[in-house]
Amino acid sequence: MRKPIRHFCYSICLLNLLFISMNLQAISESEMLNQAYQSTYSPDPSPKTIIKNGTVLTGTGLLIEKASVLIENNKIIAVGVGIDDDEAQVIDAEGKWVTPGIIDIHSHMGVYPAPGLRSLSDGNEATSPVTPHVWAEHSVWTHDPQYTLALKGGITTFHVLPGSANLIGGRGVTLKNIRSVTVQGMKFPGAPYTLKMACGENPKRVYGNRDSEPSTKMGNVAGYRKAWIEAESYLNRLEEYESKSEEAKELGYAPSRDLELETLVGVLKGEILIQNHCYRGEEMAIMLDIAKEFDYKVTTFHHAIEAYKVADLLAEQGVCAAMWADWWGFKHEAFDMVWENVAMVDQALSGKGCAIVHSDSAVGTQHLNQEAAKALSAGNRSGLDINKARAIQWITLNPAKALGIADQVGSLEAGKMGDVVIWSGDPFSIYSKAEKVFIDGHLKYDNSSIDAFTRTDFDLGIIIPEGDRL
Amino acid sequence: MKYFNSIFIITCLFFISAEAENNSRILIQNATVITATDQGTLLETDVLIDQGIITKVGQNIETTNAFIIDASNKIITPGLIAPHSTLGLIELDSESATRDDSTDHYSAGFSIVDAFNPSSVLIPYNRSGGITSAIVAPSSGAGIYSGMASVFKTDGLLKIEPVAKDVAMIMEFGGSKDSRAADMLMLKDSFDLARRFTTSKSSILRGGYFDFGDYTVRDLVAIQRLLKGEIPLIIRANRASDLLKMIDFSKEHRINIIFLGAKEAWRIAGTLATESIPVIIDPMDNIPSSFDSIGARLDNAAILDRAGVKILITSQNTHNSYLSRQGAGNAVANGLSKDEAIKALTINIAETFGLQDEIGSIEVGKHADIVLWDNDPLEVSSFADEVLIDGNSISLMTRSKRLRDRYLNKLGLN
Repeated sequence: MRKPIRHFCYSICLLNLLFISMNLQAISESEMLNQAYQSTYSPDPSPKTIIKNGTVLTGTGLLIEKASVLIENNKIIAVGVGIDDDEAQVIDAEGKWVTPGIIDIHSHMGVYPAPGLRSLSDGNEATSPVTPHVWAEHSVWTHDPQYTLALKGGITTFHVLPGSANLIGGRGVTLKNIRSVTVQGMKFPGAPYTLKMACGENPKRVYGNRDSEPSTKMGNVAGYRKAWIEAESYLNRLEEYESKSEEAKELGYAPSRDLELETLVGVLKGEILIQNHCYRGEEMAIMLDIAKEFDYKVTTFHHAIEAYKVADLLAEQGVCAAMWADWWGFKHEAFDMVWENVAMVDQALSGKGCAIVHSDSAVGTQHLNQEAAKALSAGNRSGLDINKARAIQWITLNPAKALGIADQVGSLEAGKMGDVVIWSGDPFSIYSKAEKVFIDGHLKYDNSSIDAFTRTDFDLGIIIPEGDRL
Repeated sequence: MKYFNSIFIITCLFFISAEAENNSRILIQNATVITATDQGTLLETDVLIDQGIITKVGQNIETTNAFIIDASNKIITPGLIAPHSTLGLIELDSESATRDDSTDHYSAGFSIVDAFNPSSVLIPYNRSGGITSAIVAPSSGAGIYSGMASVFKTDGLLKIEPVAKDVAMIMEFGGSKDSRAADMLMLKDSFDLARRFTTSKSSILRGGYFDFGDYTVRDLVAIQRLLKGEIPLIIRANRASDLLKMIDFSKEHRINIIFLGAKEAWRIAGTLATESIPVIIDPMDNIPSSFDSIGARLDNAAILDRAGVKILITSQNTHNSYLSRQGAGNAVANGLSKDEAIKALTINIAETFGLQDEIGSIEVGKHADIVLWDNDPLEVSSFADEVLIDGNSISLMTRSKRLRDRYLNKLGLN
């Protein structure tokens, strides 16, 4: 059995070598680096479509009744009252609600897919506590049936992260909810890379159980700092080399590539965004001090159960918190949950907070609107005054900002991608469902027909050969 | 110390007043009453409670000396029942020292009744979400059985007696590392052993030898109760063929069964209805999380109900047991009727565990376990405004709300 496989591998490797050497002649090394693993997603031009008469939550903070959304060539052209177009295909959204495509900033779809098989469990490189060299996208299984379930819940973009076993777990990737055999075909074009870091119980438990560092929270912090010190020194070497004259460069050696430190340097340069799993208030404050020590920015704290305890600090420093509406109690750092967490973060410093509702769950991601509804109603019941037009931002514009893609998605504004959801009713009601989901102007899900979406490979013939999973 | 004393006195006063209320009458006026009976939903209706029991349900009830609860614009339902939980057995999932839900020593006879902690933080929290009773079940025991479930109320009173002890046995089928065929053989062997134990009792008492195998006396006595039809067996299983196999097995041995999980139950809905087998499901769990639940889908509840199967809706997360409500709402969004959804949170559970004479519906003679909702109880944006257990109005304060209030204040948001 083994021999033919090896043989096959050799020929592929040989071919690769040939291919690489040919390319090397044509382009420089850094250009090649930039081209590797890039998004190949490029939607066909979409037909001109107008969604009319809906109650539109724009994602910019507005609720507009009887409004239209006009989409052409993959982009939103216009949003508002009194917009019409004779050439456009008309979708009547009378009695329905229209929102931007929903964005889940915390997903493990593809890296912890369903079914939960050992062979598909690819989310944690839990062999060393600092692994910035691993990239979640290299683990993504593109046929995870959870993608289509999420699509039916209105999810058009999601951010896939490595797990939280490690202090520095690797790069995350932002994907569009598009069926593609290749992960490059799902990658959100131009989305910045992210880096997963994890505070607290998980890393110290995973490595502490092996009698290795870190086994305490202070061990965690020492681990982050050691990594950043190395990254700083690598950045200095790179900058020193870059500052040399061309002659000097030719005489000397360029610093050799270091896969781990390249990612960390990307953070120090502000090109890679930190997505930091962190539950406790005091740990968030320490992570912000580490960012200060090494001059980088934390973009988002994820699973931020205690964000309400440091909501002012987060708002002051412009750091987002991604939260569940009500998960708690699975460990002690998740003990102090309050239903009002999201709303309190949102309202901190007179509404300067950046609140995000995330799922971390293939069930939750299908109902992110309900999670936002829980957070909104709890906040308002406790005396805060937040409207739906603002709350929808918790699952649209705010995650878009935290992923560095707010110039392209997250709101219904002219020039943005045509990612739009038509809901059967108020998306803050449990009875409302996503009826039509557009991605880049193309209708990707339509609940009026059982076959109006593309199933994953896994879904085909898996229950009975003649039938498909719903 | 002074401060502590005053808190102590206030606490005592609270319990004294709760005690006093039990002897008084309560009249809930002008409510929309979702009865969870064949009467469905009654509008502008009053409910009279006397000594903790519902004594009248109707319009314009007149009474004297009753404490009046104005429920205009409110909806009342029976208190919700968690059909499968570890409430009172677990504080933190990841900390084994806070868990009492499993054992390596006992099997079928592992009763969790002595582990229940009425002061668990989870109890007032879930009560504030509308849960008034819970079927509390062990997670795992030695071998194929997990043990025995008991029923507790969530009134939080510092008492340790259950409402009903050892009301069901629980086991898992098809989920272990061993072949499911071996699980089935072990199940059969345990039944044979329990039967032999019955017939050998007099010889054992005379000092005769009996090989208990992997079981204890306690385990075999529990299995005997199952074989006599005194208690049902809750079987955790998802795969349609596993469910069929267990139905077959239950008929052969004349035991009563309940399915838990049952993600592929919709594929055999007709059989489940014919055999009158109730299923406990989480309607939101449509993930094909293993090859045993490939057919998982969001309209499982609706399909089962249409076929005439009795459904009980659960949350899989004990900390948020009350979120069975969200599951029920999603079942409605996917085809279940609202009345059936409420029944699946209340009376269907009471009936399945033999509690229907006491709880599960709003009708005369039942214990007054009642929740007043500010709006549609199936909406996640609705909240319980008042929770009565045995006619006592129970505090809806939670540790979580205390934290909220402290930090709303600190952030200047109150």
